[in-house]
Amino acid sequence: MARSEFDVSQEVEFIRRVQKGDGEAFGLLVEKYQQRVFSIVFHLVRRRDEVEDLAQEVFFKAFRAIRSYNFQSSFATWLSRIAVNHCYDHLRKVRASHLSYYSEMTEESAHELERKAESPPPQGLDHGERLALRDFVGRLLERAPEDDRLILTLKELEDHSVEEIADLLKLKTSTVKVRLHRARKRMLADLERWRQEGK
Amino acid sequence: MDCKEIRDLVGERWGEELPVEAREHMSKCAGCEVYWRNARFLQAGFRALAEEAPPDASFGFASRLVRRLQEWEATGARSEFFETVGRRFVYATLALTLALLLSLALPTSGPVRGVAGADFLGLQSHNQASQPDVVGGEIGDTHELNLGGPTK
Repeated sequence: MARSEFDVSQEVEFIRRVQKGDGEAFGLLVEKYQQRVFSIVFHLVRRRDEVEDLAQEVFFKAFRAIRSYNFQSSFATWLSRIAVNHCYDHLRKVRASHLSYYSEMTEESAHELERKAESPPPQGLDHGERLALRDFVGRLLERAPEDDRLILTLKELEDHSVEEIADLLKLKTSTVKVRLHRARKRMLADLERWRQEGK
Repeated sequence: MDCKEIRDLVGERWGEELPVEAREHMSKCAGCEVYWRNARFLQAGFRALAEEAPPDASFGFASRLVRRLQEWEATGARSEFFETVGRRFVYATLALTLALLLSLALPTSGPVRGVAGADFLGLQSHNQASQPDVVGGEIGDTHELNLGGPTK
C-alpha cells in the first residue's frame, strides 16, 4: 500500500495526531491530497511556475489551522476551501496577463479555429489548435472578475457539482446556480466584446 | 420564444442540446445564433482547459514541507509570538505616551486651557465662559465658532 493510500478512519487518526502537533502525520495527509491541491491551484491561477509555491502555502495554512478543523465537513473539502480562498486572495493581488498563442495567430486562422471549435465535438482540432483554443479561453477566464473565475473554474475545470461548490464556498445551491449563470453570461459578453474590438 | 428566453436557456442548459423551438428561433435570429455559437466555443475551450494536466509535485515535496513546518514550529512560531507581543507593547507604549503628552499639554485648570483646549474647538463650558478671556477681554467674552448661523 502506498503511503498516501489510507481509509477514512486512518485519516481521522492522522488528523488527530496532527492536531496534537505531529508533523510526520501531516506529511501523510500532504501526500494524499497534494494532487488535489495542485489541480485547484493550477486551474485557478494558471501559472505552472507558481503552483508549487502556492500549494506549499496552502498546506502551511492548513497545518496552522488544523486545530480548528472539527470534522463537520470532509478533510478534502476543508482543505480545498483553504486552497480556493488562498488562490482567490492571490488572484486579487496579481492580475497579470501573458503572451497568447491566439494573439499571435493571423485573423484568418483565428476565425478558422473559432469555426472548428463551435462545431461539436471539437475532435477536428489538431494539437496546435487545441492549444490556441485553450490559451484563448484561458485568457478570457483571466480577464473575468475573481468571483466569476472562481465559480467557473470549480464547475468547468474541476468538474464539481453545484452542491459541492455550494459546500466548498459555503453558499446556498440556488446562489451558486445564479452566480454560475451570471458568470457564463458575463463571459459570453466579454467574448463578444473581444471579437468586436478585434482581439 | 423571445431572444431573452433563448439566451437564458443557453446559460441554463450549458453544454446540452437546445429544444426544437429554440433552434427554430435561432434559425431566424442571427443574434441568438451567434450567442449560441459563442457558448459552444466557450464550452469547447473549457473542455480543452480541463484536459490540461496540472504539474506534478516535485520529488520530496511532502517531506520538504514537513521539514519546513517543523523548523517553523521550532523557531518561526516562537518568533511570531514575540513579534505579536512586541507589536502590542509598542502600540501600548505609543498610546500611553500620547495620553501623557495630552494630559501635560491640556491641564485641567488655568488660563492655557481656554486657548489650547475646549475653547479652540468652540466647546467652551459655562464655567469657563464666566472667566476672563485670556487675551484680556471682559468677563463673559467667549470665542464662539461661527457655523454659518444668523449673527446677533
